[in-house]
Amino acid sequence: MALKMETRNQMPKRIIEDKVLRFSAGERLSHWVHAISFFVLLFTGLGVLSTSFQPAMAIFGGIQVAQLIHRIAAVFFVVVVGLMFFVGNPRYHWRWLKFVFSFKKSDWQHVCAFPKEFFGGHGNYPEQEKYNGGEKINSLITIFGTVFITLSGVVMWFSSSFPPALVRWAYPVHDLSMFIMTAAAIGHIYLGLLHPDSRAAMSGMINGYVSTKFARAHHREWYERLKKEQSMNEQKNV
Amino acid sequence: MARKTVLIDTSLCTGCKACSVACKAWNELPAEKTQLLTSYQTQSAFTTKTWTYMTFVEKYEDQKMNWLMRKAQCFHCADPACMKACSSNAITKTESGYVVIDQEKCIGCGYCVENCPFGVPKVDLIKKKSYKCTGCIDRVENNLLPACVHTCQPGALSFGERDAMLAQAKKRLVEVQKTHPKAQLYGENEMGGMTYLYLLLDSPEIYDLPVKPTVPLSLTLWKDVIRPVGTVAVGGAAAAVVLGVFANLFRGNYGNSDNKEGGRD
Ligand code: HEM
Ligand code: SF4
Ligand code: SF4
Repeated sequence: MALKMETRNQMPKRIIEDKVLRFSAGERLSHWVHAISFFVLLFTGLGVLSTSFQPAMAIFGGIQVAQLIHRIAAVFFVVVVGLMFFVGNPRYHWRWLKFVFSFKKSDWQHVCAFPKEFFGGHGNYPEQEKYNGGEKINSLITIFGTVFITLSGVVMWFSSSFPPALVRWAYPVHDLSMFIMTAAAIGHIYLGLLHPDSRAAMSGMINGYVSTKFARAHHREWYERLKKEQSMNEQKNV
Repeated sequence: MARKTVLIDTSLCTGCKACSVACKAWNELPAEKTQLLTSYQTQSAFTTKTWTYMTFVEKYEDQKMNWLMRKAQCFHCADPACMKACSSNAITKTESGYVVIDQEKCIGCGYCVENCPFGVPKVDLIKKKSYKCTGCIDRVENNLLPACVHTCQPGALSFGERDAMLAQAKKRLVEVQKTHPKAQLYGENEMGGMTYLYLLLDSPEIYDLPVKPTVPLSLTLWKDVIRPVGTVAVGGAAAAVVLGVFANLFRGNYGNSDNKEGGRD
């Protein structure tokens, strides 16, 4: 039911019993297409970057094939997620952008307390909305990284159509974006899979739902807002 | 083998183009269809099959025409940008000063093409391999003159030890400056000192050469700053994660039932 409403771009009921809908099917699709194509791009890109990775490209049938796969994966990386913003699931995608571009004081406070949490301690920070400060930074790195790596990648791909002075700068931009995004992805995967306190968020990216307990503990401001909105809607519909 | 040098004394060049034919013959490069572009010039860029060509400039000054000719090929730089840019360690520099592409190792990424300040290497898009002048290293290492030097009749090209060639170039320069006051050497110090050293009759700009060719700043930034710093950053992130897992194990966080359900209220 929820899925059907999402595809019609309507807000479904967010809190159902002890679960809260965190990510729409469209958001999950974008996330996983982006994640998988990122790793394909990283792996095939490393084959070009370093001769120590080059032999590993034998699994694709050689470096030439890896270079081709890099270009095919790049199209998925950009076009699928791009389309989700305009035809697939615009409402949720643009809302995510709105969330992560509003960086407030409470976000800074989360970021400052975060190193402690990262290593298993307990930091003090104000209640967080749907995305905490760390998640916003990860999102911003993904957004800007994607833009820069795509623009530089296109210049490198079609290098003969651009002046050499521009192509020369595309290489360091492509590499810098890659390094920053890879470092962020390593931390991101740790928090999603290995961190005892935050890995409960993983289900949100699989079936869309997190437990109300998790929502209350990590994103209380968000949870309370949803609860209020939901009870208002119910009153309206009566 | 000690450092070699080819001196290209443009004051002696007659523009006969025999060098470009000799190059094609020795390296078994097919002829390409060309047409007259300007003056006597038929080619304006290197191709995968043309590693050397002649440029012609007609410069008018005081009602007089100065015909400036130059044999263009890879300079075989002592500090080659192409080699620094290469993704696959396919470009190497010999002790004798030659910069050579190993097509076995080349993957056709084109990084050398974009980073050479003179636009020398070209990638064959079908073979996915980069090609440029080899300096006839195969001949030189067998005590033969480079094909172009061997064929040059007016003696515009000469080959020898670097010191001897530099001395010869300087001697010729004094002579040539009497009739061409703007004559100068090009390649003594440019790009660390180039194996193909020129005696030009005018300033490099007139020949469409960069006055101060350098290894691109973007290339230095890319290979000497972003690469090492980025590698350390990614390594640091991985180390932090390993530390994080151990810290959580040590604190007993993985067995904590609160955590399993998603956190403390
Ligand atoms: C999104 C669009 C992208 C495009 C159009 C693109 C395109 C390219 C191109 C044309 C090259 C040149 C190498 C070759 O000829 O195969 C390249 C290299 C590379 N790419 Fe991408 N790429 C994209 C995204 C990514 C992403 C997301 C990553 C990894 C996170 C990545 C990592 C690399 C690496 C590591 C190299 C080697 C660079 C080097 O040699 O230093 N690329 N890319
Ligand atoms: S002229 Fe260009 S291709 Fe030749 S050695 Fe110098 S940088 Fe490399
Ligand atoms: S095209 Fe070949 S020689 Fe040129 S940088 Fe790439 S791998 Fe090296």
